[in-house]
Amino acid sequence: MITDVFMRRQALILGTMSFIIIGVLWQLVVDFGIVNPFFISTPGAVWQELLVQLQDGSLLVNTAATLYSFVLALGLAVVVGIGLGVLAGWFRDAEAALEPFIWFKYSAPTVAFYPLFVAWLGYGTPTIVAIAFLFALTPIYANTLSGIKNVDRDLKRVATSFGARPHDIFFRIALPGAVPVIVAGLRLGVGRALTGVVVAELFGANAGLGYSIAYYAQMLQTSRMMVPIVTVILLGVILTQALSYIEKRTEAWRVVHDN
Amino acid sequence: MAMVATSARDTGKSRAARNWRPDRSTVISMLSVAVFFILWQLAPEMGWVNGRFTSQPTQVLVAAIDVILNDDFFYHARISLAEFSLGFALALVVSIPLGVLLGTSRTARHLIDPPLMALYVAPTLVLLPILVVSLGIGMASKVAIVFLNALFPIVVNTIAGMSEADPKLIRAARSFGASKLDVFVRILLPGSLPSILTGIRLAVGRGVMGVVVGELFVSQAGIGYQLNTYGSAMRIDRLLVYALVVSVFGYLLTVSVRALENRVSTWRPE
Amino acid sequence: MAEIEIRNLGIDYRKPNSDEVFAAVDDISLSIAAGEFVSIVGSSGCGKSTLLLSVAGLVKIARGTITIGGRPVSGPGPDRAVVFQDASLLPWRTVLGNVRFGLEMQRWTGGDLTERAMSMIKLVGLARFADYHPHQLSGGMRQRVNIARALAVDPQVLLMDEPFGALDAQTREIMGGELLRIWEGDKKTALFVTHDIDEAIFLSDKVVVMGRNPGHIKEVIAIDLPRPRTQEILDTPQFTEYRRRLRAHLAADMAGMHFMEEAA
Repeated sequence: MITDVFMRRQALILGTMSFIIIGVLWQLVVDFGIVNPFFISTPGAVWQELLVQLQDGSLLVNTAATLYSFVLALGLAVVVGIGLGVLAGWFRDAEAALEPFIWFKYSAPTVAFYPLFVAWLGYGTPTIVAIAFLFALTPIYANTLSGIKNVDRDLKRVATSFGARPHDIFFRIALPGAVPVIVAGLRLGVGRALTGVVVAELFGANAGLGYSIAYYAQMLQTSRMMVPIVTVILLGVILTQALSYIEKRTEAWRVVHDN
Repeated sequence: MAMVATSARDTGKSRAARNWRPDRSTVISMLSVAVFFILWQLAPEMGWVNGRFTSQPTQVLVAAIDVILNDDFFYHARISLAEFSLGFALALVVSIPLGVLLGTSRTARHLIDPPLMALYVAPTLVLLPILVVSLGIGMASKVAIVFLNALFPIVVNTIAGMSEADPKLIRAARSFGASKLDVFVRILLPGSLPSILTGIRLAVGRGVMGVVVGELFVSQAGIGYQLNTYGSAMRIDRLLVYALVVSVFGYLLTVSVRALENRVSTWRPE
Repeated sequence: MAEIEIRNLGIDYRKPNSDEVFAAVDDISLSIAAGEFVSIVGSSGCGKSTLLLSVAGLVKIARGTITIGGRPVSGPGPDRAVVFQDASLLPWRTVLGNVRFGLEMQRWTGGDLTERAMSMIKLVGLARFADYHPHQLSGGMRQRVNIARALAVDPQVLLMDEPFGALDAQTREIMGGELLRIWEGDKKTALFVTHDIDEAIFLSDKVVVMGRNPGHIKEVIAIDLPRPRTQEILDTPQFTEYRRRLRAHLAADMAGMHFMEEAA
């Protein structure tokens, strides 16, 4: 019986254990002098700092600022990405017109154009949102395009044999059928939007987790710096897990073929 | 011999060469690009946008020639290339064996998976300040960030490749008396090659981003350094030249890995 | 080639996530003479594949013994080769590479591997395709490679688990004829699992009929038709009589199943 429960929860138990192990290793690495605590601090010191930053509200303020930019960027990416993706997926001409730009965007590292955005929008939230928007756009657009374009042929044929018109097929077959793929794209986009925000904040911002990382780094205050770093990692995990959960729910929508 | 009923599919080897005729999609794509360039050139002249901020194709072209001839371009390019290559090579050397090792044991995989996925999703770039503090503002910190950025995609994809082995193949091998080592070397490793290459392709993009961000953050030389310089000086034409150089480099590398990936994946069962 | 002796064989099976243990097959005794081609038929769930896999050494024996040529079975060995329904070819190797695979696994010392592999490839009629990859071949061709790979290691016993099950009816017919042609050369002891009655009768010297719950042997029917066999045999009255007998067995099983479903 206990073994049954263990098996099912195995993943969860091992997962928690691994985080604990990392914490222990972290402490040991510093204790044995392998790495100077100046560079990576210790779990204990970071924990203390975490409490301090929670109490004086600085952690919450910065997290809120980051989330604000994140939501804006993600929202934009969703609207533009899904909008364009649907257009390009349904109309081959639209796809052809957009393709060279997407292909360029795909191969060019967006960050290389960061100074350009700074020149246009200055340092601060507009640039941060712009960069994160571009980061998140690619997977959302690509997945939407693929989902709409690859509408299941068998379903389409059945619908047509029942007299469905193109717009019927779009709303009742293509769109619903594309949902799982689009959600997968959203999951990817979420991670990238967060990365974009934090990276942009490293350079020029006056609030946000990236800003606080850079700020404490400049002051060489490693323990304080680790707090926003860990927060970013946790945020990334939580957001991605949330999307994964939604993704699993929409799995039921995937077309199954009896073979 | 009754073999007529079971003929091989057309492998495309003997397809007759066709006359090159652009199809509708290609034409539209090319038109799209042309329109973009025309608009880009015209917009400043028509006063729609401020030319100081957007530059023009012609200006960028002139700047490109200027940069290559006069601007220590190769010096900076060499530095960035070295940082990228070293970091990426280190990542390959560490991540593939690590991924293979982790991919073989189910318990190890369960243990490692959560922190690994967390780090895969997390912006490794946030460690940049730590790296700069510990390794200085020279090349070392950039090599380190490229290494970290490239590490996770390769490890994650290698593990996935190892665990995707077809159980039927393993069963067939066992029925011929294959030992565990045989199965590992002859089935698991070759079978995970496509996934490993996918991981490498993803790592390329991240690695290039690592170099650029690292150099933007703090550096004394390199392409990112030049990007910063020209950004601050509002020399958008030169800025774009360097940005395009990075883009082309990233593109070429990604395409090469993709080609390798495709070649290896041709034998993938549908 | 070697003879197979199965005595009071019992194989257990445990349901996943439970502690219940069932007998997949129980108290099976069967003698197969050297060089005999024996088919095993029965409705789904009667344990015919389990039986075959236990002879292959891929499934643990709970009770009873299996001996081949006098030696007990305790795992896979070079004296047996399996042809599965799924061709299970290594996709990154060519036909030649795949046929060599079994030889490599068994550290073959009987001569040059490539030569041996090529002779097998010629035997199954795929000489022209030796450099092709599996994804370039049709289903029937892949199974030929599968067979070539099994024959290459020169097993005493050839074990086949519904090898033509995934092929279309016409290809299946052709492959049956091809299999006999290939087999006639060496006349290895062969165990052939199938759900296709005609195929079983056409190919075999004996047909073993199995029943379910738990898997057991209902009858062993000797097939007294002359060799070499051709497609015309299917229309003879003798063949029809064998077919009738086998179908009666399976129909009884189906009725039994239907009854059980209603009762449940």
